Amino acid sequence: MPERLTRVDFTNVDKILYPELGITKAQVIEYYIRIAPKMLGLLAERPLSLTRFPEGVDKKGFYEKDIPSGTPSWVKTFNRYSETAQRGINYIVCNDLDTLLWLANLAALEIHMTLSRTHSFESPDLVLIDVDPEPPASYQDAVEVALLLKENLDSLGLRSYVKTSGKKGLHAVIPIAQEYTFRQSREFVHQIGMRLARESKIVVAEFSRSRDPGTVFIDYLQNAHGRTMVCPYSLRATPTATVSMPLEWSEVKKGLNPEEFNILSARNIESNPWKDLLQDKQRLV
Amino acid sequence: MWSGSITIGLVNVPVRLHAMIFDKGISFRFLHKDDGQPLKYERVCTKDEKVVPWESVVKGYEVSKDRFVVFDKEELNAAKPESNQTIRLQKFVDYFSIDPIYLDRPYVLSPDKSADAYALLFATLKKLGKAGVGKITLREKEYPVLVHPYRNSLVLTTLRYANEIADPNELEELRGLKEPSQEELNLAQKIVADLSGDFDITEYNDTYEERLNALIEKKMKGEVIVSEKPAKEEAKELMVALKETLEQLKKK
Repeated sequence: MPERLTRVDFTNVDKILYPELGITKAQVIEYYIRIAPKMLGLLAERPLSLTRFPEGVDKKGFYEKDIPSGTPSWVKTFNRYSETAQRGINYIVCNDLDTLLWLANLAALEIHMTLSRTHSFESPDLVLIDVDPEPPASYQDAVEVALLLKENLDSLGLRSYVKTSGKKGLHAVIPIAQEYTFRQSREFVHQIGMRLARESKIVVAEFSRSRDPGTVFIDYLQNAHGRTMVCPYSLRATPTATVSMPLEWSEVKKGLNPEEFNILSARNIESNPWKDLLQDKQRLV
Repeated sequence: MWSGSITIGLVNVPVRLHAMIFDKGISFRFLHKDDGQPLKYERVCTKDEKVVPWESVVKGYEVSKDRFVVFDKEELNAAKPESNQTIRLQKFVDYFSIDPIYLDRPYVLSPDKSADAYALLFATLKKLGKAGVGKITLREKEYPVLVHPYRNSLVLTTLRYANEIADPNELEELRGLKEPSQEELNLAQKIVADLSGDFDITEYNDTYEERLNALIEKKMKGEVIVSEKPAKEEAKELMVALKETLEQLKKK
């Protein structure tokens, strides 16, 4: 009898999930298998929410916070009362390869994670600065603002880690010691946004102006209890199967094209720029 | 082809009706696997299993399980609405005030005999943004209809009766929906704003049909169709990847 490598029973692996590229569920599972060594540590102990596309990205998908029925007993969960849902939510926590593959088998293409971890869910260990261009602002505008952001964080003595969102923006993340509240991290990002808005005409710092055409919004709102960020290395439900790709800051420059990082290319990239993220606990000033 | 007149009070607009909807989609026929011949259907009596010729067929309405009241053709014909050749418009309403849920099937109207009356009705409705509401009898069924301008023509759209449409309130899940919080609303509105654009139906294609057409073409060229990657091969590849990753994780 062959050795059993995983507790997951893969189903329907021939289903095409990205019709434009002809990518099957088997390829999605393989992607997550290959990327797991870099990804798992970043996900550990973080309640997740999923965007599932069982019929493929060209069909309607759905968003899922609660564990789906039929969740195997070996999947770790985290129960928290949700203000918005007014009931307890059993979040999925992915601490091992089997859970990640079980998610892939559910066609949970997009995996989103909270900015805090289960053992101190109320205090964030990550600060997310979401650089979000509004058309006609281009990706190059977002890159320029991200570089300005980096300069500002450097001047404050803060080390930041950057990734593409896999869609139209960029995410900068600052790992912090768990001694702040979400209110503080949110206010910090809001302050940064205001600072950038003074330095660049295209930056807006207020949500009310975030949809002004041609601007780049410094989104601070995800820094809140229970809110999530798309995981580093998660696939996105885009026609071209893009990935939210961690980068070195030196790669963030004119000509950066987020579409270059997709299910086919991302697994071949050897660098691991977020390797030390969770050891780098910093203090906000 | 149906031809007749739109009547408004004492005014007649002679028109012809043309189909406007073409239901696409590929249909298959059932064949006998052994010899490739098409199958035919026969009406078989459930009691003696014998084939029943059309002359011996009547219609029955099932009143309760296995109890029927029987009608012959004449009886049913007597109840059918009289086919007359008129579309009687009784009322004019703002076209955009009509709940699209009632719209059923559009037909193009073309002028018959004289185009003047048609042109006048078209120009008037277009100018006022109105649609005429009335009735038509088509294939022995009476429908409420709209007559409205569309591009450079008048279009007749049959409507559904009110009792053909379910009331959403009958679904228990929809009673007492919670008011979302302002924060949630803001976020949801942001998402919708993100995805907003102009409606363009040509962005949508029937991908299943496209794939079928491609398959049919291949077949016609005599190619044998094999699914591109048999499941077993896929699974094998996954297991190879899995082994490598497990080893990598172990090293850490």
